[in-house]
Amino acid sequence: MSLSGLLQYVGRSLQHLELRLAQAAGFDSFGPALAVNGPQILPQSLHSSDEENSEPSFLDSIFWMAAPKKRRTIEVNRCRRRHPNKLIKVKYNIEPCPSCGNMKLKHTLCGFCYEKVSKETAMIRKQISVMEGGPLNTPAVESVVLYENETPSEADKDKRIVERNRKRPYWFNM
Amino acid sequence: MAASVVTWAGLAAFGRACGRIRSRLLGSSSTLSPVSCLHTSTELNSKHWERKNLVVYPPQQKDELRRPAEIYHCRRQIKYSKDKMWYLAKLIRGMTIDQALTQLEFNDKKGAKIIKEVILEAQDMAVRNHNVEYKSNLYIAESFSGKGKYLKRIRYHGRGMFGIMDKVHCHYFVKIVEGVPPKVEQKTGFDQAKEYVEQLRNRTIIHSL
Repeated sequence: MSLSGLLQYVGRSLQHLELRLAQAAGFDSFGPALAVNGPQILPQSLHSSDEENSEPSFLDSIFWMAAPKKRRTIEVNRCRRRHPNKLIKVKYNIEPCPSCGNMKLKHTLCGFCYEKVSKETAMIRKQISVMEGGPLNTPAVESVVLYENETPSEADKDKRIVERNRKRPYWFNM
Repeated sequence: MAASVVTWAGLAAFGRACGRIRSRLLGSSSTLSPVSCLHTSTELNSKHWERKNLVVYPPQQKDELRRPAEIYHCRRQIKYSKDKMWYLAKLIRGMTIDQALTQLEFNDKKGAKIIKEVILEAQDMAVRNHNVEYKSNLYIAESFSGKGKYLKRIRYHGRGMFGIMDKVHCHYFVKIVEGVPPKVEQKTGFDQAKEYVEQLRNRTIIHSL
């Protein structure tokens, strides 16, 4: 059998099965249809004449896509979904934080302690922005944060002082 | 799965079939005797799991063992998938309440936060309303998820095709019991095989000599 004959047969069989896909090059509005997977029609066999008669239909099957043969039963589905490798593993690396007592992961900072420090830092940054007024006004000296009833010490002589109106938090040591 | 590709014609046929089924059902119910449909639901909005908390037992005798307090709690129409929620429910089954809360706190799934809220609510209910003395002396006896009511939306495909997308919701149910969690014996494969062989050996042949 010639190659051209084979190609013509394939094209005709595809045409026969999916008329709309055959006219994809010049799409005529046949309206929406069932979405069937198949390859693009070969351009030669669009207008092929009916020279050869129908070949055995097993040649069709090479060009179709993989599809499930049978419905997966719920038992099979459960075996896959409930397999131990898909279940969530229990974490054994959780321990109480020594300072606040909430639980934390061993290799991570305690969330509660981090949150309280970041809240205070945000207040300090707000104070600094109020002091500076605008962007790019940062002085070229160190800053030191002083809380209520605190005076700058000898070491803090040349530093910029950031005042906070609350008593010093217990965890903020010099 | 959640989406399915349909044609316009298919949808019209489905609608017609629905109409036929509905008319058939209406027709059949009118001919049924009144005794055969006994769907007696008392209140409009009470569901079974919430009603389990209203059970009141008679006072116990002096020699009876103390009945452990059971607290049923649930949350309805959570915007999450029931299959994904099931994994979290399976994780905390049988744990003490504190262990369950720590595991959920360090889990990254969306459902973990929701289940944690539900369990904390249940713990609070236990201490206030159900005469539980120590809030740590509780364990998760039952925990599972169920399908909620889905909303349906259209998902647009190419070539004028469309699919119906389900906006999934789920319910989460938990039963908390006072006391120490019961120890579950871990059966090895060898034990299970031994049991099976014993079952085979215990079979008797009837009508034999």
